[in-house]
Formats: sequence, structure tokens, C-alpha cells
Amino acid sequence: MNSLRVTISKTPRAAWPFVAFLGLFFIGGLIRPGLMSIESLLGTAAFAMILAVASYGQTVAIVQGGIDLSVANTIAFTALSFLTLTRSLGVGLALLVTLALGAMVGAVNGLIITKLNLTPIVTTIAMNGFLFGIILLLFRSSELATIPEAVSAVTSGRIEFLGTSFPAALLLGLILMVGLQLLISYSGWGRQLIVTGTSAEVARYAGISVDRTRIMGWALTGFLNAIAAIVIVGFYSQASPTMGASYLLGSVAAVVVGGASIFGGSGSFVATVGGAFVLGQVATLVSVANLGSNIQQLIYGVIVLGVVALYGRKKKA
Amino acid sequence: MTTSEKTTGAGKTAPVVPRLIVTDLSKNYGAIHAVKRVSLEAYPGEVVALVGENGAGKSTVSKIIAGAVSRSSGQISVDGEQINPASVGDSRKHGVSCAFQELSLIPGLTVSENLDLVDKSPIGRFSQKSASETARKILEKFDLSHIAPESLVASLSLADRQLIEIVRSLVGNPRLLILDEASSALTPPGVSWLFERIRELTASGGTVIYVSHRMNELAEIADRVIVMRDGEQVGSFTKGSWSVDELVSMMAGRETSSQFPQTTEIKIIGEPVLRVSNLRSDRLYGVDLEIYPGEIVGVGGLAGNGQSELLSALFGAHAARADNWEFAGIKLRRMNPQLAVRLGVGFVPEDRKLQGLALALGVGENLVLPWQKLFGFGGKPVIKKEQGWLNSVISSLSVKTRGVREAAGSLSGGNQQKLVFGRWVDKNRKLLLLHDPTRGVDVGAKQDLYSSILRLSEAGISVLWLSTEVEEIVNVCHRAVVMYEGKIVKTLAGATLTADEVVGAAMGGNND
Amino acid sequence: MTRFRRLFSSGGLARLRSEGATAPIVAFATFFALYIAINPEILTRFQLQTASNLVVPLAFAALAQMIVVIVGGIDISIGAIMSLSNVSFALLMVNLSPAIAIPVTLGIGAAAGLFNGFLVAYFRLPAIAVTLASFFIIGALTRELMDRPGGGISYDFFLATSGELIPFVPVSVFWLALFSVALYFLLQRTRFGRHVYAVGSNADGLEAAGVNSKRTILLAFMLSGVTVSIGAIMLAGSTLTGDPRSGDAYLLNSIAAVALAGVAFAGGRGSILGAILAAFTLGLIGNFLYFAGINSSWQYIIAALILLSVVAIPALVSRIQAERRKTK
Repeated sequence: MNSLRVTISKTPRAAWPFVAFLGLFFIGGLIRPGLMSIESLLGTAAFAMILAVASYGQTVAIVQGGIDLSVANTIAFTALSFLTLTRSLGVGLALLVTLALGAMVGAVNGLIITKLNLTPIVTTIAMNGFLFGIILLLFRSSELATIPEAVSAVTSGRIEFLGTSFPAALLLGLILMVGLQLLISYSGWGRQLIVTGTSAEVARYAGISVDRTRIMGWALTGFLNAIAAIVIVGFYSQASPTMGASYLLGSVAAVVVGGASIFGGSGSFVATVGGAFVLGQVATLVSVANLGSNIQQLIYGVIVLGVVALYGRKKKA
Repeated sequence: MTTSEKTTGAGKTAPVVPRLIVTDLSKNYGAIHAVKRVSLEAYPGEVVALVGENGAGKSTVSKIIAGAVSRSSGQISVDGEQINPASVGDSRKHGVSCAFQELSLIPGLTVSENLDLVDKSPIGRFSQKSASETARKILEKFDLSHIAPESLVASLSLADRQLIEIVRSLVGNPRLLILDEASSALTPPGVSWLFERIRELTASGGTVIYVSHRMNELAEIADRVIVMRDGEQVGSFTKGSWSVDELVSMMAGRETSSQFPQTTEIKIIGEPVLRVSNLRSDRLYGVDLEIYPGEIVGVGGLAGNGQSELLSALFGAHAARADNWEFAGIKLRRMNPQLAVRLGVGFVPEDRKLQGLALALGVGENLVLPWQKLFGFGGKPVIKKEQGWLNSVISSLSVKTRGVREAAGSLSGGNQQKLVFGRWVDKNRKLLLLHDPTRGVDVGAKQDLYSSILRLSEAGISVLWLSTEVEEIVNVCHRAVVMYEGKIVKTLAGATLTADEVVGAAMGGNND
Repeated sequence: MTRFRRLFSSGGLARLRSEGATAPIVAFATFFALYIAINPEILTRFQLQTASNLVVPLAFAALAQMIVVIVGGIDISIGAIMSLSNVSFALLMVNLSPAIAIPVTLGIGAAAGLFNGFLVAYFRLPAIAVTLASFFIIGALTRELMDRPGGGISYDFFLATSGELIPFVPVSVFWLALFSVALYFLLQRTRFGRHVYAVGSNADGLEAAGVNSKRTILLAFMLSGVTVSIGAIMLAGSTLTGDPRSGDAYLLNSIAAVALAGVAFAGGRGSILGAILAAFTLGLIGNFLYFAGINSSWQYIIAALILLSVVAIPALVSRIQAERRKTK
């Protein structure tokens, strides 16, 4: 039994959501044996990966000790911009401009937070509102029905695998996860971001430029939100001013369920994907058992509470 | 119930019931035994001092009696009644009150609101006017009329805040008063005031437990001294039967005749490594300073007079400007931490847990923190590359750790301090800024740090050392500057570098 | 009358300033002056009534959020509690009289606050995480109770909450004023109120003074829940329906109003008047633009800019002051 305890303590925290995901998957199989198939696993994974990708930006924001409440309208704004720009600039250039727009939105957030000393909550709420106004003024959604071929291919195009197929978005999301995880674990900036999230003072006294690290983090958040926007557009073949609404708190939930500390300093992209997978599997189970979306939301809340109770207690100084 | 013959302070002999009996008190934090089976007694009219190094457990014992911390085992009884306080409010109901080391005042409220908070139920009307009146009367009664009851606690000086903290513990006529490092921020007149209050309380039969590490105060105020070390009670003396050396040896657990290392004379050669004139910021009002290679310069003064701001400013962590600012011959207009590190400055902050280390990260990661390039690698690859340096730091400072992957948070206080210090060792530093590097560190680790600092000086590296222990400044530094109200008021060296001079200047002594 | 006089004595004004209320007061005064300039008809009975019915629920939400922020937390579930109370009240009013429906609804608000507050105070979980969870849970509950707008609000009730008290004084403002005075009394003139401010400033310190900080936090959350539910009842009254999505917009808007009111998110500070005026300002922007003939989509942009500038100006001012001090 001791070896079990050692194994448990040695398992990285990011692995636990995946363990939970597999557990839920098997429970699903018990309820309905038809669910125990690769198809069903991949289906849930793909759907969950969309949430995960939409939560990558949030991961960076939370790890550095903040929170991004402008995810919703950054996604909507960049998605609608992309669709508008492809008409005049072509897919490739439109993509670049869109990503730059996302990064810019994030950088503005970062500048306001560091130079004006405003809390991330207030800043991102203001930005969220601001972008919503811009969206309503600039875009007429009726004109934005056509999704470029290239984008659809990279997201909802299917890839053959083990006798079945899965949407390319799943692979795309995995590649992003690996790249981002390497960035945060093995780059100077990534480690500095983690320390800044733990305590800006500690970072400062160790010679780290807190402001510069932070602004870069926020720019990355915006950039990742723009990527998420394009993935969502490709996967669901639609865009609207309110397309990002469910990702506002959904992204926070995915990051928290993944085990990150809401105060910053810990968290990983792998864990976020795990968190999104757990939430995705819950959604699948609920829909299969025909329990209704209210039960799904209820379970989401309970899971967030459970994870926070496990990992998130405020420590007494 | 035990009784005993006892000589009270007034010289009368009478059978007395102990006010406080503590039996086999223990407190464990997981695997750490902060307090190990401590037993003690205190009598009415007595002042019992509880002394020990930082980390000896004396503060924990007092917090347990005061109700702020729960005990793991053991019994406490006050006036014969067993108590098990679940909160400070509980203790206060039994007549036990405490002035805490980490001040428990609410900075956002006024003095009168803070004084009004105690011992009252939340149900009840509150009026600023009547709270002010009551506070005014209390302040008058305790001879503190210079503090305005309507002022926000956040606007008071550290010394005044401590005075209010003490007053708050006196309100309600406690039978047992615990003072935890209550004199740490007080001026000498403030300390006299404190002793008067203690005498008033004991004269009316109250008991005082005085937790401190200031030896000179004990002789004046304590009837008995109990020494703690490593969570245990190791000795007890009655008035007149101890000497400072004995106490210190007992606190340290070994001979301390040579507590401080020998500093060699230093020859001032070459250009200063740091030269700054009229350094000013919101807490500094014009500091002129020159530091030469290899010099160990101490910074003294009472807490809150600009010393920490000086160190932070020189590192660029605190915004400041100067008429002239030169480092190693390079003229500067302003400073920030990255520039400071690039130029060759290192910084050891005051609080190793909150300002020095990322406790969740590993030993190795904490050490390489300043040395990772923004656009380069970080984490494991850097630790691997710096393996040699990391090992040399750990061995030269004798850091007790299981390896570079061990979380910094699981090291002991002394070893954590060594990590923050070790970050800058052998990394081409020209100047190290140290903010109380030996505070709360066990004697062994202190010695290791002192030797390291001396090694640095011998290698030509300068040290600017802010210390709240006058003895450190006097014994280890080549030169000392004393600060008062944001300026350097005195520079001492050689024969003039004595404890009396430092303390005198700290009180606002004359300028040079 | 003497209480009013004391309110405006130098002590009262100084306290308003220290609580950071200058900004929202100035912002609202400026805004309202502009509003009257653009649309003098706001001062007609009908428009005053409509405008106040529009902003009063937000004012309640802002006060509720402010209470949680003062004790050092933030409430992500505030919109959900609003929806739950709104929907519950509408359902109760189908068969029961207001005399029963109102207390029960307030009880529901208090229960939601109890749930949040208990987890925050006694389990020491961060408020943002707990209320994130309760956002989902309470939202689910709300939609189970009612999945589309409906309920039994009568026109009489509309008049009672959203009509006119006396010509030119909307009833909703009256109820808000009544509640605010009571809240002011509770927060500034009782010891419990001092505890609420204290616990946000230094919770450990409060414990060391012998006060039960956990109970204070719990009660603060419950008070916040009750405040939201009053706003929900006002909203139900003015819209004559219960709507499970009615509270959605109030989450972000309540936080924006609290920020505009100069409440410190670190805890320990907050002015009731400031929160109310901030809510009024934010709530009326859309209205203002309509009368100014500007595309109402601009309201989101303007609200964001007002928020940013009002919050940023003190930061900039103190920065400039610090620079000036250094170069002296």
C-alpha cells in the first residue's frame, strides 16, 4: 500500500484530470456499453479540445496571477474580423492580421494592467465591453456566412486513425498544447511568468522585469484567443457577436478543474486540456443519459468546487 | 492545584496560587515540532520573560496561550481553571490578552474603531463620536495623548502602531498579559512607557509574560527568565542569577564567546563601486553614500526610517532619483532590477518566504532565477547547465537539502535564507545588498552566512548590510551609516563604531 | 433630519472622500448634466420613472457586489442569484401574495449567500472560485425552475415597485433610498458594519481582536444575497415577468459599477453612495445615447472608456505626484 501512496504522490498534478476523464469514460461505458468505443472517445475529445483551445489564453492569464474576462468578445471580435478580412486579403494574410489583432488586444490589456495598475478583472471587463461595442458597430453578421476552405480543413477536416476518424482540430489542439507547454516549462520567459504569478515581489527582487513579462503574457493570451476564434469558426462553421459567451467562464472552469491555482503561479496547458476533457466527458454523459443541460451545469459547478476544495485552500501565513 | 512559597517582587513571602500553569504543551505542524512538551508556571504580580532565538518556539507558546493558535497536546490552566481557547476572543474572556508580534490592528480603520472592536459583540450601535470619546479617554489614561483617535491606523508610524497594539491588550484589565516582542518597534521612551504599564499591571496582581530576544531589557523588567531552544524549555533563572553570556549560550546551545567572526582591516583602494548623491524618493530625503570595493558597510537605525527604501532604491525595486548615481564608474539616471543585476548588484530581501523565494519551485530553480535569459531557456535545461555552480553554492554555504529538485518551501528557515543569499554567490557581483539576512536563522546557519559575507569582502565584493541587530553591525562591519527620517545622520567606523553610538544616532543624533 | 445633517458634516464628507466616492460623484454629476442638456425631457414624470426603473436593479446588484468586495472577495454568481430570485419571485406570485412571496424570495437570496459565504469563511476557499462554481449551480437551479420568461406579476405590483410615489419621484428610487439608508446605518453605525470593513482590511487582525471573522464573512455574503434578491424583485416588478436570463448582464455590470465607485478590490473600502451613482451612470449611458441620436452600440464603448478613465485617473495622478516629488 505504501508503494501506492508513493506512486500517487509522484504523479504530476496535471495527470489527475486525465485519470478522472478516463474514469468518467468507463462509468459512461457501464451506463451504456455502446459508449465504450474509440469513436465516442474521440468525439468527446474533439469537442472538449475546442474548449481547451479557447482556454489556452486563459491559462496564461491565470498562471501569471490574473484572469481574462475579455475572452468572450476577443474571440468574437477576431473571428468576425477574420471572416471580413478574408474577402479582401485572402486567407493567409487575413490569418496573420487576425492573430496580430488578438495579440494587440492582449497587449493593450497588459499595458493597462501594468502601467496604470488596474486589476485584471476590471481591465478585462472593460475591454470585453469595449470590444462588444466595436463588434456591433463594425460587423453585420448576415454577410459572414462563408468559411474559407483552408480553415475548415484544418479544423473540421477528418483524419484517419485506427479504423475511424477524428476532426483535425483535436490534433491541432494537441500540437498547440505541446508547444505551449514546452514554452512555459523550458523557456526563460515561461519560468519568469510562473514566478511572477507566484509573487511579483519575489520576481522583482530576483531581477526579473515584471512588467515586461506580464505584457508579453497578456499579448500571448490575446494571440491564443485569436487562434481559438479561428478554430471555433472552422469547427462550428459559424460566427456571431455572441459566439464567445460560453467561453468566458467556461475557460476559467477548464483551467481551474485542471488544478491550476486561481491565484497564479501554478498551472499547465496539459492540465487545462485535462480539465476541458473532464468537462467534455461530463457533457457527453449527461447528454447520453438524457439528463438535460441544467444537470450538466450543476455538475460543472460541483466539480469546480471539488477541485478547488482539494487544491485551492488559502494557506494561513 | 500547586501552591508554593514564593518571593514576590515586593519582597513579601506568602503562599500563592500560580496564575498560569502550562503542562506538557506541544504543537506540531505536520512533521515539524514547534513546541515540545513545555511546562511552566507564572504567578500573580510576576513578570516572566520567555527568551530564545527566532524559531525557538517562544512566540508559538504565547500564541497558544493567547488563543491564536491551537495546541496539539498539553494543558493550560489560568487561576486554577483549565482553559482550551478556540479563539482569541475565548482567551480574552478568561482574562488573557496578548499584544501580538504581527500587529493585529486593522489598518483601514481609525484608532478609535480599532480600540472599540475588542470584547464587544457585533450587535450594537456604533458611533464614531462616542468611540472617539472613549478612545481619547483610554489614550489619556495610558499617557498617549499624542495619538489622535480619529487617525487611520495606516497613517501612524510603526512605533505608534505598536503602542496602540499594546494599549488594546491592556484594555479590559487582563489578569494575564502576554507581550510578544512588544518593544521591537518602540523608541527608548516608548520602552520606558511599556515598562511603566507592566509595573502598573503587576502591582495590581496581574501577571506578564514577556517574550523577547533583547537581553538588555530583561535585566530591568523580568523577575524570572525561561530560555527556550528548538521548541523545548532548556533553562530557567530568577532575577539576579543570570548573565547575558549564560543566556545567549543557552539560547544558542553552544559556546558563543566568539559569536561573530573576526573582520580584517580593510584598505580603501581605488574608486568606489557605488557613489550616490542626494538620493531621494518618497521615503528618502537626500542620501549621500560611497561604498568601496571589499567594504562591509552596515546600515543601522530604528525600523521605518528609510533603511529598507535605501536598499530597494539601490536595487531599482523602489523608484528613486539622485543628483549623481555612479556604479562601477558608469553614470546612471535611474535604476531597475534587471539593470542592477546586469551591472553586478545582488539583493537579499527582508522576508525570505514572501519576497525571496518561490516556495513551490525547486531549490535549483530558485537559485538560477536571475540568470535565465528572457528569450533563452529556463527551468530544467538551465539547471542542468549550471549544475557545477549549483553544487558549489550548496556546498560552500552548507545548505541542507535533498537536491536541486527539492521544493524550496520544505527547507528550514536558515537553509531558505542561504538559498536567497546563494543566488548571488560566484556570479560576478560587485555589490550585495542584504536586508537582515540573519533574521530568524539558527545560530549554525548564521555562522555560515557570516563566513560567506567575509569571503565576499576578501574577494573585493562590497556589502551593504541592513541589520536590526546592533551587535552585527558593530562586530562584523567595517563601517556603519545610521539612518534617521530618510537621511544618513551619522557615519561610524573603527573606534567610534560602538553599540551606544549606533543606538544614539538612531534616536536622531547629531549630523556629522 | 439631524442624521442628514451629520451625514453632510465635515466628518461625513471626509469619509466619502476616504472611501473613494469622489470619482463616481463627479462622474455622475457631469454625466447627468450632459444628459439634461441633451434631453431636457428626462425631467418629465414618465421619463424619470422609466429611467429609474432601468437603473435601480443595477444599483442593488452593485451594492451587493460591493459588500462582497469589501470583505475581500468577489462574487461571480451575482447574476445567477439575481436570476434565481427573479424567477422564484415570479413563480411565487402566481399563487401567493406579495406578503409571502417577498420574504421567501429574500430568504432564497440569503440562502444563496449562505452557500457562498459558508464555503469562503469556513472552508477558506477563495471567493472567486466558490462563486464560479455557484454560478453554474445556481444557474442550473434557475433554469430548472423556469426555462422561459413567465410568472405571475400583477400590474398592481408593478405600480408598487415601479410606479410613482409622488409626482416626479419614482417609487423605485424611493425603495432604493430606503434600503440604502438602512444599509448605511448597518455598515457605518453598528459594530457589525465595522467588522465587515475590518475583515476586508485585515482578517487575522480581527480574529486577534477577539472577533469572529468567519461569522462576519458569512453574514456579509448573506446580506449581499438579500440585496441582490431585492433588486431581482424590483426587476420583476418593472418588467412584469420572471426571466431566467434576467440576471446575466448584471455580473459584469455590477463589477464595473463597483470599480467605477472606487471600491478597492483588495477589500476594506467602499461607499454606498458611490456604488449607487456609479450604477446610475453606467445604466443610463444607453438611454443617453438614444436621446442624443447616437447608435446605441456606442454605449458599450463609452461605458468601457468611462470605467477606464475614472479608475485610471487617480492612478495617473498619484504617479505624476510621485514623479514631481522625486525631482524636487
